[in-house]
Amino acid sequence: MVNNVDQVDPREAQMLQMYLNEYGQQMEILSQQLNLIEQQRLESLGAVETLQALEQSDDGEVLLPIGGGAVVRVKVLDPGHVMVNIGADVVVERTSSDAVEYLQDRITELDALGKKVAGSIEQVRGQVNEISRRLEAVYRQRGQPPRPAQGGQ
Amino acid sequence: MDSIPPKVQNQLAMLQQMQQQLQTIVSQKAQYEMTVREAKRAVEDLGDVAEDANVYMSVGTVMMQQSKEKVLASLNEKIENLELRIKSLEKQEKTLQGRFEQLSAQVKGALEGQQPPGAS
Repeated sequence: MVNNVDQVDPREAQMLQMYLNEYGQQMEILSQQLNLIEQQRLESLGAVETLQALEQSDDGEVLLPIGGGAVVRVKVLDPGHVMVNIGADVVVERTSSDAVEYLQDRITELDALGKKVAGSIEQVRGQVNEISRRLEAVYRQRGQPPRPAQGGQ
Repeated sequence: MDSIPPKVQNQLAMLQQMQQQLQTIVSQKAQYEMTVREAKRAVEDLGDVAEDANVYMSVGTVMMQQSKEKVLASLNEKIENLELRIKSLEKQEKTLQGRFEQLSAQVKGALEGQQPPGAS
């Protein structure tokens, strides 16, 4: 790594550009992971809300979306029980309250995982900023515009 | 590239190929490890479920009801198989890594002119 930009040679500039591209790609992968985690978290929150609402419902009648903005009126036969996917292609029947507890645990885990990934993104962002700063100084010195990192930031 | 002897150019191409093979092995291993983690988690979750609970497993495009015992056996078998494959991949990775390091040392030596190209 370069400590003094005044002494940077072209090979080091090339290396900095390479690091910048790699970190850019890493950031994109981490951002995709974070989006996926957030999506799963929101889905689980929605499921908890639905189960709680069904428990309080008198007749268990709901509108079920079938796509294209169309919905059909259906009656939940057994609002007290729900099938929960526990991963590895296995689905288990649980009582609604057990399912809510399970989903809330999953939300807590996803929250923690999301924070971890967000922390990693911040760390990589710091490195990207530092390398960009050095690279910019190098290109300014050589009178050329810096190339943006591959993979977005 | 023109000033690099053909033998070293060949070695460089081999290095690139090895690197791609290593990447494939590493990503496949990561995928298997993730599947094992998921299956272990499912086994753990099944532990909290009553013996007579309704448990379903994916069979093709449908979910079929199975006994908890059968699902557990199936998951454990899956974990065992995947762990064997992971071990085999680890072995391949180690061998390939060794060959990669050996070849890259040869190429480095040849490029620095400290060692004649292709010497092993």
